[in-house]
Amino acid sequence: MAQVPNLIPALPEIFLAVAAMALLMLGVFRGDGSTRLVSWLSVAALVVAGGLVLAVGGPREVTLSGLFVMDRFGVFMKLLVLLGSALTLILSMTYVEREQMSRVEYPVLIVLSTTGMLMMVSANDLISLYVGLETQSLAAYVIAAFRRDSARSSEAGLKYFVLGALSSGMLLYGSSLVYGFAGSTGFDRLAAVLAAGSVSTGLLVGLVFVAAGVAFKLSAVPFHMWTPDVYEGSPTSVTAFFAVAPKVAAVALFVRLLIEPFGSLVEQWRQIVWFMSVGSMLLGSFAAIGQSNIKRLMAYSSIGHVGYALVGLAAGSELGVRGVMFYLAIYIFMNIGAFAVILCMRQNGRAVEGIQDLSGLSKSHPMLALAMAIFMFSMAGIPPNAGFFAKLFVFQAAIEAQLYVLAVIGVLSSVVGAYYYLRIVKVMYFDDAVEPLDRAIPAESRVLVAATALFTLLFFFVPAPLLEGAANAASSLFAG
Amino acid sequence: MPDALILLSSIALPFLGAIVAGLLPTHARNAAAWLAGAIALSMLAFVWAAYPTVADGGVVRHAIPWMPALGLDFSLRMDGFAWLFAGLVSGVGALVVLYARYYMSAEDPVPRFFAFLLAFMGAMTGVVLSGNLVQLAFFWELTSLFSFLLIGYWHHTAAAREGARMALTVTATGGLCLFAGVLVLGHIVGSYDLDVVLASGERIRSHALYLPALILILLGALTKSAQFPFHFWLPQAMAAPTPVSAYLHSATLVKAGVFLMARLWPVMAGTEAWFWIVGTAGVATLLLGAYVAIFQLDLKGLLAYSTISHLGLITLLLGLNSELAMVAAIFHILNHATFKASLFMAVGIIDHETGTRDIRRLSGLNRSMPFTARLALVAAAAMAGVPLLNGFLSKEMFFAEALSAQTSQLFLLQILPLAATAASAFSVAYSLRFIHGAFFGPDPTDLPRTPHEPPAWMRFPVEILVLACIIVGILPAATVGPFLDMAAHAALGAATPDYSLAVWHGFSLPLLMSFIALTAGVALYIGLQKQLRSAPDGPPMLRSFDGRRMFERAMVFLSWRLARTLERLLGTRRLQPQLRLLVCVAILAGAIAVQVRGLGPGNVMPSGIDPVLALVWVGGAACAFGAAWLAKFHRLAALILLGGTGLVTCVTFVWFSAPDLALTQLLVEVVTTILLLLGLRWLPKRIDNPATRQAEVVTLTRRLRDLTIAISAGAGMAGLAYGVMTRSPPELLAQHFLARAYTEGGGTNVVNVILVDFRGFDTLGEITVLAAVALVAYALLRRFRPAPDSVEIPEQQRDQSAYDEARPDRSEGDTVADWLLVPSVLTRLLFPVIILVAAYLLLRGHDQPGGGFVAGLTASIAIILQYMIGGTHWVEDRLRVPPLRWMGVGLLLAAGTGLAAWFFGRPFMTSYFSYLGLPLLGEVPTASALVFDIGVFALVVGATVLILIALAHQSVRGQRAVPRSSEGRAAATRVAGDD
Repeated sequence: MAQVPNLIPALPEIFLAVAAMALLMLGVFRGDGSTRLVSWLSVAALVVAGGLVLAVGGPREVTLSGLFVMDRFGVFMKLLVLLGSALTLILSMTYVEREQMSRVEYPVLIVLSTTGMLMMVSANDLISLYVGLETQSLAAYVIAAFRRDSARSSEAGLKYFVLGALSSGMLLYGSSLVYGFAGSTGFDRLAAVLAAGSVSTGLLVGLVFVAAGVAFKLSAVPFHMWTPDVYEGSPTSVTAFFAVAPKVAAVALFVRLLIEPFGSLVEQWRQIVWFMSVGSMLLGSFAAIGQSNIKRLMAYSSIGHVGYALVGLAAGSELGVRGVMFYLAIYIFMNIGAFAVILCMRQNGRAVEGIQDLSGLSKSHPMLALAMAIFMFSMAGIPPNAGFFAKLFVFQAAIEAQLYVLAVIGVLSSVVGAYYYLRIVKVMYFDDAVEPLDRAIPAESRVLVAATALFTLLFFFVPAPLLEGAANAASSLFAG
Repeated sequence: MPDALILLSSIALPFLGAIVAGLLPTHARNAAAWLAGAIALSMLAFVWAAYPTVADGGVVRHAIPWMPALGLDFSLRMDGFAWLFAGLVSGVGALVVLYARYYMSAEDPVPRFFAFLLAFMGAMTGVVLSGNLVQLAFFWELTSLFSFLLIGYWHHTAAAREGARMALTVTATGGLCLFAGVLVLGHIVGSYDLDVVLASGERIRSHALYLPALILILLGALTKSAQFPFHFWLPQAMAAPTPVSAYLHSATLVKAGVFLMARLWPVMAGTEAWFWIVGTAGVATLLLGAYVAIFQLDLKGLLAYSTISHLGLITLLLGLNSELAMVAAIFHILNHATFKASLFMAVGIIDHETGTRDIRRLSGLNRSMPFTARLALVAAAAMAGVPLLNGFLSKEMFFAEALSAQTSQLFLLQILPLAATAASAFSVAYSLRFIHGAFFGPDPTDLPRTPHEPPAWMRFPVEILVLACIIVGILPAATVGPFLDMAAHAALGAATPDYSLAVWHGFSLPLLMSFIALTAGVALYIGLQKQLRSAPDGPPMLRSFDGRRMFERAMVFLSWRLARTLERLLGTRRLQPQLRLLVCVAILAGAIAVQVRGLGPGNVMPSGIDPVLALVWVGGAACAFGAAWLAKFHRLAALILLGGTGLVTCVTFVWFSAPDLALTQLLVEVVTTILLLLGLRWLPKRIDNPATRQAEVVTLTRRLRDLTIAISAGAGMAGLAYGVMTRSPPELLAQHFLARAYTEGGGTNVVNVILVDFRGFDTLGEITVLAAVALVAYALLRRFRPAPDSVEIPEQQRDQSAYDEARPDRSEGDTVADWLLVPSVLTRLLFPVIILVAAYLLLRGHDQPGGGFVAGLTASIAIILQYMIGGTHWVEDRLRVPPLRWMGVGLLLAAGTGLAAWFFGRPFMTSYFSYLGLPLLGEVPTASALVFDIGVFALVVGATVLILIALAHQSVRGQRAVPRSSEGRAAATRVAGDD
């Protein structure tokens, strides 16, 4: 039988999986009192994994019989995923304690889910793609329903699970069609087969189903339905997590899937991505306006942001992929910051999530309001905030690829989007508070809000490093 | 002075100053003012330092690497045109700072005001000095942002909040359009660099994307310059402190729009599209603004509409596609900035000293503040275009251009001069109203404060500006001439026409028009006296045409009704529609893909259809249909029908000579059905249809629709399957395994060889997972408390007990004990037979259908049957299957087989095979895989039994809740004590 494969490129995933199990053991033996300890250890594990990603990253390397690939694209995306997971985990510590759901499984599930995400990013085969996706999703289903005594949370978890299972089914069905028509599930083989010969309809149908399955994880229109419900129903700290890391991983997977094995079908899948992008941008901006719950609003906002990121993917060029990566990087900073503020929203010791509950924030918490305003302006794409540059690059890529209609729809929907982001600013600054929010804000939140706000605001001084990183990573997808 | 220092300081100083000012204590009014003033003056000095270079037609440039990946530098570029604007921004800025020092009251948080003002100044400088388009859009949005903060400075008043929001919504929206337009323009040119863009006029105008780029960019420029139909935000912005209005609405914010149009004029103007869009917007704004201004009651409102009108004039000039008009436009930008800034400041003084800006309450201020009155008089005269003042000069040029406009549409040539004269007459009228209403007439009666002259320093900026109006008006060529010339050359290059800046051009048509306008304006004002005194705010005829209200209505529609409707139509929180959508999209996506490409027949001819098999399938389909139909109402029936479907699948496998698959399918079918049956125990037996007739119709329709969806999904999958199967597949793994199963794995049952040999490692993993699943199911169910309504004794048992009770000869429990006696005896007899079959399947598995997994399932079925018929207590009293031990042994065997290979110096899981002759049984294949298979067998049995126990004990525990039996506890402890 075969020799032991080269496990070095998969070291971060292996480490995280082992760490998750070790942490689970630790937690089980020490009880729920040790949640904070386990959380910090989980953060440490994520950081170590990040270090490992940097250490093993480099030129493209395929291992585990071609199932697993490590390249610079993977390094960039994995770092984003790990960053998102670690920061949301830090944010959630105080929240879960205050909400009396401080159980040791929470951080462990996040680490497990993150392991799945890393595998998604590195998947080089439809099978490993599926395994990564499910590892991520199964843990996510559980944490969505983490507050078992809350009907809303349980409903969110169940709904997520049922719809997720259906979409996984589609993904598998599509994969089997792809296998049946192309004779392989490996990305490298697929790319070779597709580049060589004509494309059969069955393969296209398979691609459509695979794309549908991934689109569900992206929450791109028309597979977005679950997002507002799940975001609203899940505990807020979990929502913050959902809005960041899984999204990055799903986009990474989608990008790799479409660019590497299906790269030669760009004309075909561009239509799918175009449709998803336009739908997501429009729905994300219009449906968000009527919301009164800030978590639902953020759900629609995230749908919209996925739409913008997909604008870059629709371009199908190296420039476009760079735009997508850049967009995601900035997206996670803005989003973590915004959720850090939302997690601080408490009245009389009770978590609140109405947009109106933010009224008068500028008086009771001027710095928090300022930071939130920065995030909102940034999400609306108003300079000098980082969000402006994020949009700049994806739209530029779209125009270079002659997708003018897409770019114009993007700009118009960001106009609509600006309206509801500005509404939050208006509520914070112009409306009088009925009842001010509690003053006690955990130290982690303070630090994170300040750091992300400064990043968002001052990004334009030194955009080059991130941009170079994204460009470098994007080029690794197109090199082979 | 080095270029870099000049440019960078001009940009960086105001922002740094803004940060410092923002950090000052709230009441540090003087410190903030000194700071802001010093910064504005030093900016002016820096700008002046660049004069020698730009005056020679040179360009001051500096670039810092910014986003090299995009080829974008942070580049600053100052030519004569930008120099003029930079001077305007910093010069008027310095005056406004001085003015604001006295205007702002001590109670306001003045440092914050100056921080915003400085930041705005920086952003505006950034717009005019930007060396590339992206950077321009960037600073453009910044000006929107800071103007929002400035307009909303007094955010405790509703008007300021509304005005700020509206200004931001309109200008930021326009800014985003500009952003898109800039990207398109950059795409056309291939570079965002302004120098490159300005050099590729031909390419831009002839490009297919010219029109989209033009429209997007003009949307940005026209919203910013408050041009019709986007003009409505500007009057609302008058809620800002007056220094802000004086700055934003005379020299800076609104001028950004015309600046951009003028900047891109050489490369984008000269086409019909430009003429029509820009010209129409300009002429409409010119007339509308001037007309509405006459009827304003608020002095600032009057100035706001006058600003709109004058910007319309500039826009119109830019739209005329003539170089001379362009020069006139630049000149008017300058003139308007001076007289409008001074007028705003004058109004601010009036407001400050009297406490009101209402033209009806003000009157006769000439007596109490004579000096201010004279200043305002001169500035207003400049606005009206009275000779010997600067406004007159640019207006004369405008008239001349209106008369000589070149266009294919002849009727325009008559309309333009008329419109110009009419607008000019209106402007005379409103200027008169401004001066006459505020400064002349009887003494004011009910002013909030007693009017008097302002502090000298507050009036100083007005004096400077008015002086500029006069000097430029009298000696244009000597004063402003070189600067205008420089700006025009920088903007137009070699195409700059000859023009003359003289006050007197002789008797000419423009002069006549000026004269007519002056006379008509005065006459109009006198004629309107009566109406103006009584009329409410707003112009007659156009009162109902209120841009602001329309904007708000549009906003409400968009933001509320449309959004709600969309959400109601597209959004749902219910799971079923979400699932439906998902399935429908999948069907549609598949259908479209097939539709587009066509899925024609494959290259393999399908064999004929056997009628018997077809009939079997019809039966299966009917079962599936029935199961779906009944799933909601009668779960047991649905489950049984589902079993029927499964059976048809098994038959199909048998039909196509796949006994192994058929066997597995059958067993899985049996086991799952039984487990589901056990689960059904905890669910309500059936849900009856609601009785009402109408509801039935609705339900029926919905169910029929869902049925249609289900059928189309099924048909789609069948079609795809057909498509796949009628094609010869590419080389798949199957051939690989078929070829090697015997030679390398020693078995002819390929499936089993794959399971225990080729993919033995996977199987090892799978059975480990199975063990974990069983343990988890047990752990979860151990603490499960059934719902109270399912705890009660089943109906059938109750009936039987009632029967016993009713008879004196029977004691309770007799009938229950004898329940299903014959089947139970039969199953007990069957037990050893089934176990034997299991053993047979296990042993022969390597070569023929069978194997550890199948054998394990078979054995499990034997046990399950005992449980079902005999009951938990009976079985557990007699049958000893310690599930944990079975599972452990199974795992160890399987893993041990793999490890054993190491002892023979082979890699993990290498298998060995030969045949062993056994007495009675003959030759039995004894691959090492057999041991592995036994491990699988043991594990499957153990896992199934463990889950079974967990489930079965629910009923035991359920009855324990009704304290009746202690046997249940004994049974439970037996299992728990197993480990």
